[in-house]
Amino acid sequence: MKITLTVNGKKYEVDVKPNETLLDVLRDKIGIKSVKAGCWRGECGICTVLLDGKPVKSCLVLAAEADGSEIVTVEGLMKDGRLAPLQKAFIEHGAIQCGFCTSAFVLTAHWLLSRNPNVTREEVIEAINGLICRCTGYEQIIEAILAAAKYYKK
Amino acid sequence: MSLILPKFEYYKPSTLDEALELLAKFKGDARILAGGTDLIVDLRSRIKKPKAVIDIKGIKELHKLEYIEGKGLIVGATVTLNELLEHPIVKSKFHVLYDSVRQLADMQLRNRATLVGNICNASPAADSAPALLVLDAKVKAVSKRGERVIEIKDFFKWVKKTALEPDEMVTEVFIPEPPEGSRGKYYKATRNVEDLAIVGVAGLVAYPNEPSKRIVRLAYASVAPTPIRIYEVEELFKRDEPLPKLIDEAVNIALRKVSPITDVRGSDWYRRHLVDVLTRKLLIELFLEG
Amino acid sequence: MDFYGEVVSLTFKVVGKSIPRIDGLIKASGEAQYAFDLEIPGMLWAKLVRSTIAHGIIKKIDYSEALKVKGVVAVVTGKDLPYKLGIYVGDRDVLAVDRVLWYGQPVVAVVADSLEAAEEAAEKVVVEYEPLPAVLDPEEALKPDAPLLHPKLGEYRRAPGFNPIPGTNIASKYELKKGDPEKAFKEADVVIENKFKAPMVSHVYLETMNVIAWYHRDGTIEIWSSAQSPFAVRYLMSASLGIPLHKIIIHRPFIGGGFGGKAGLNLEPLVALLSKHAGYRPVRLLLSREENFYIAPVRTGIIAYIKTGARKDGRIIAHDSTYIFDSGGYADYAVNVARAAWYKCTGPYDIPNVHCISMAVYTNKVYATAFRGFGHMEFHWAVERQLDILAHELGIDPLEIRLKNALLPGKGVLPTGEKLREDAGRLDQCLIEAAKAIDWGKPPEKPKEPWKVRGKGIAALYKGPAEPPNAAASAIVKFNEDGSVDVLVGTTDYGQGTITSLAQIVAEELGLPIEKVHVRFYLDTDANAYTWQTVGSRSTFQDGNAVLMAARDAKRKILEIASQVLHVRPENLELRDEKVCVKGEPWECVSLQEVVFGYTYPNGHTVGGPVIGVGYHMPERRTYLDPTTGRAPDGSPGAPTIFITFGAQAVEIELDLLTGKVEILRYAGAFDIGKAINPLLVKGQIYGGAVMAMSLGLFEELKYGKDGRLLNPNLTDYKVARAGDIPKKMIPIIIENPQADGPYGARGLAENVMIALPAAIANAIYNATGVNIYEMPMTPENILKAIKEQKPELIEKAKKALMEYLEKKG
Repeated sequence: MKITLTVNGKKYEVDVKPNETLLDVLRDKIGIKSVKAGCWRGECGICTVLLDGKPVKSCLVLAAEADGSEIVTVEGLMKDGRLAPLQKAFIEHGAIQCGFCTSAFVLTAHWLLSRNPNVTREEVIEAINGLICRCTGYEQIIEAILAAAKYYKK
Repeated sequence: MSLILPKFEYYKPSTLDEALELLAKFKGDARILAGGTDLIVDLRSRIKKPKAVIDIKGIKELHKLEYIEGKGLIVGATVTLNELLEHPIVKSKFHVLYDSVRQLADMQLRNRATLVGNICNASPAADSAPALLVLDAKVKAVSKRGERVIEIKDFFKWVKKTALEPDEMVTEVFIPEPPEGSRGKYYKATRNVEDLAIVGVAGLVAYPNEPSKRIVRLAYASVAPTPIRIYEVEELFKRDEPLPKLIDEAVNIALRKVSPITDVRGSDWYRRHLVDVLTRKLLIELFLEG
Repeated sequence: MDFYGEVVSLTFKVVGKSIPRIDGLIKASGEAQYAFDLEIPGMLWAKLVRSTIAHGIIKKIDYSEALKVKGVVAVVTGKDLPYKLGIYVGDRDVLAVDRVLWYGQPVVAVVADSLEAAEEAAEKVVVEYEPLPAVLDPEEALKPDAPLLHPKLGEYRRAPGFNPIPGTNIASKYELKKGDPEKAFKEADVVIENKFKAPMVSHVYLETMNVIAWYHRDGTIEIWSSAQSPFAVRYLMSASLGIPLHKIIIHRPFIGGGFGGKAGLNLEPLVALLSKHAGYRPVRLLLSREENFYIAPVRTGIIAYIKTGARKDGRIIAHDSTYIFDSGGYADYAVNVARAAWYKCTGPYDIPNVHCISMAVYTNKVYATAFRGFGHMEFHWAVERQLDILAHELGIDPLEIRLKNALLPGKGVLPTGEKLREDAGRLDQCLIEAAKAIDWGKPPEKPKEPWKVRGKGIAALYKGPAEPPNAAASAIVKFNEDGSVDVLVGTTDYGQGTITSLAQIVAEELGLPIEKVHVRFYLDTDANAYTWQTVGSRSTFQDGNAVLMAARDAKRKILEIASQVLHVRPENLELRDEKVCVKGEPWECVSLQEVVFGYTYPNGHTVGGPVIGVGYHMPERRTYLDPTTGRAPDGSPGAPTIFITFGAQAVEIELDLLTGKVEILRYAGAFDIGKAINPLLVKGQIYGGAVMAMSLGLFEELKYGKDGRLLNPNLTDYKVARAGDIPKKMIPIIIENPQADGPYGARGLAENVMIALPAAIANAIYNATGVNIYEMPMTPENILKAIKEQKPELIEKAKKALMEYLEKKG
């Protein structure tokens, strides 16, 4: 079946099978490899993308379900090839180690800060509890998100 | 586990009738897809291998989230848990539901998962189920043959089994207005911050200081093959006796009624212990708040 | 060569600065390529069929139905792959041949033109087994009547210093003695004996194991793998398959976590051979998380017995321990884990009389490998708990007893008889700083809820790289036309920050801004410089020394060229701000750009040429160890490690006596790393390691059913720490007593941050409750069980406090 996806502002028409997930289509058909996978059952969260503005775990979304949706991956946060403040904050605060989970955390944090730039440490933790990072111990991720909040304040 | 999903046919009806037609046609060999956070896991691990998957998100009327003053809350089958949490009335009136849904899965999953899906999955550990049990929720089941209302207490039949017939689906859950002045809470014991319940306890208390009018309800997750409400404690609290004594008795009744198993999350003895201490803690907090 | 001479100057320009990681940008942007992301046009997919019993003989394999599935190219069984793998003991089949050793072991591989076809065909393979009795507990496996997993153990190839005992399930055994322990135990005022346990656990690196292999028709094998140690993969493949090294090329992209789990040779030879069987076409194998739990190696479990003899004043005079490591079905790294625990068996203490036995034992479970800390968390769990129990018995403060027995530089003698070098790290400073950071000696504040209690605990640690005495590292520093450099090393940075540190070292030495130094992210074994492995926190020290030497080599060559241009002897020239200048006359310079590709005179004549610096690091004066004595082969003291990093970890915890749940309120970790090349990234290691160690200590355990089936092969049932689980406050403490032969004095750190934390938590639980925990993980249930067994009144008291709370407030 044919579906239409808008990914990072660009429209794609893709032929998908019912048993393909949004994760499969983004990675294998559209070629966006920044979306990773680590458990294929919604636990690790590293396949997180923004689906119509909200962070979801793309391994648990059928491609067909996403027909007509807008998807944002980490590439979509950049402007003219320049890093978004969150991405910069992650680098500067040591919030990246192996990097395999980074996109998922950045996207989730972007959603969080876009809704509420005055977040507390507890709210940051609550938003990222669904994601696993095995390297950093989360501390510097939390610091990076809190530090980037100022860029979201109007 | 496979990396890819098994083959199935995908349908996305835009009306309820179409969906019911498909359900009837596949005679139990179809699965309803709302949030997919349980279904897709079960598909990938081949626990479920349906011929057809029916995505109901195209059916507008199922996205109903409506509060009728004095009556209650209607939650349609495609309303996500985060949508529920963001509805101001849920937080202000349906405390126990709010509290349990807040602790259900995680933020990303709650953007997909639905309340109806959580109960239709019929896991003994379903976090929303004890809350719905103490709120006397009613489940609307619809098929081509007609519709019926199933009391939530009659909805769960066994581990992963509901009272639904193969051609039926749940279109909405109705949650009656909680008793006036009532407070509710959900305690969930877990191994770490992101876990299924080792034991979950939902409680609702009204008129804590007026024994004759006092309402106390308790329901549990992960202590039996289905989520259970323990009705036997409810009469008890109408007695005009010191609360600590009543709580002791309630705990004893609860411990007689539960039948926990040992699994990777916890042993039966530990679950029993949690029933004891969490019930106490929950009741005390609710009495003190009230 | 002035390489080892200069240690610490006080004015570093780049070294010691918190520079953000140089691979940060392409990771943040999502561009970094992992093995998981790679595709080769026309590649086939493999799928493995796994054993459904824990131990047994393969009677029959029927794959006729699988071959009928459209798209299937080849079906391969163990018999088709007659090679034995194994880094230290050659005991491992590529796919099970004749006998399966654990539930989930790969038995058959299917190759097809799509993953879908491969999965479908794999489901159609039928394997018949004749079950044998299985043994899951290593102590059971040691009994004389236990089922034997490797009847041919005596025939396997083995590396020097490893000691399998044929006719038993002992994959390797070690023993050492120092002083006269028998006599010392008789003289001790107090002797205590305890047993401690820790389970097998999973690394849960987020990128599951995956490999693409292409066996070319010219006999060259190309591998793209999520592997930590590409040169080890190449060497071990070469040795096992009998293929020359230059015919094997390992491509190592970015790696989504490793933690030791990807240290050795894993799926690479299988996929390479599948490529050959599939007609020399590229084949990909990607494990699902569940498959990764069943197939990929895990961390050893331990059963530890310790007997300690001490004087009344707390001075330990005798130590006797037996460490039984659970190796699972194969020896892999577990035999070296047991070895590392053996020669460091006492923990970081100077004990005059020591007897230690350590062994790795086969059981019918997935095999065990390296895991950040390499056995040290397991045996420190025993040693550091034992020390607290001793302290309580003697009525001595746990900090004081540690300070009293600490191994100190220039004085302490290790279990192998080696005297601790004079410029070794200072354990005493680590202990004092970590203790101070959590207000040691001051009672914790009272928790708000009366059913909760608080306590403080501390534990010490030491570890150095567990590697052969000739484990080498090398480096190439290659100048480009514009004066920038490319650095080629063999190490893998899967998050530790190594390549940023290496870039800082090169920039420092060559007077370059860090932006002009590129350390190659992606590694190919036929292009990069060699290093033995990326393990044991060895990279900063060894690869760091290698790039330091290479940079100095390049510098020497540059000065030689410039000398001819400026007409000044090389030793009177210096590198500064991308120029070569005459010392004392900083206006007399030639730009780096003009000399790094040879200098061209105005008339067209040239001197010199492109500058390439080379360097290496070899361990010096390290020895093999005799597995029966712990001494060097000639009987002199055994010297196994190139450095030892000491540290101390302290926590303040709050424990809910109603549920058994522990929360860490404060954590302080102090480590003497000689010199922090990059404090920001060092802190990242301290935070990350603390949370990983906490996760292992509190949550993690591979649980097996009686039939040997893994009960929690997914991340729903196997829990790892989330953001909401981490300590409320973490205090990283860097201590810098430089080691003369480390780069700028630095020692390694990445593993040390793990080692003592679980013991510190358990010690804090004792401090809060008087209850001793002997087993990991400290789940709420396990803690409550221990309280119930040792101090049931505490739970009753907590319940009473809860009810009183109602009465008081109500």
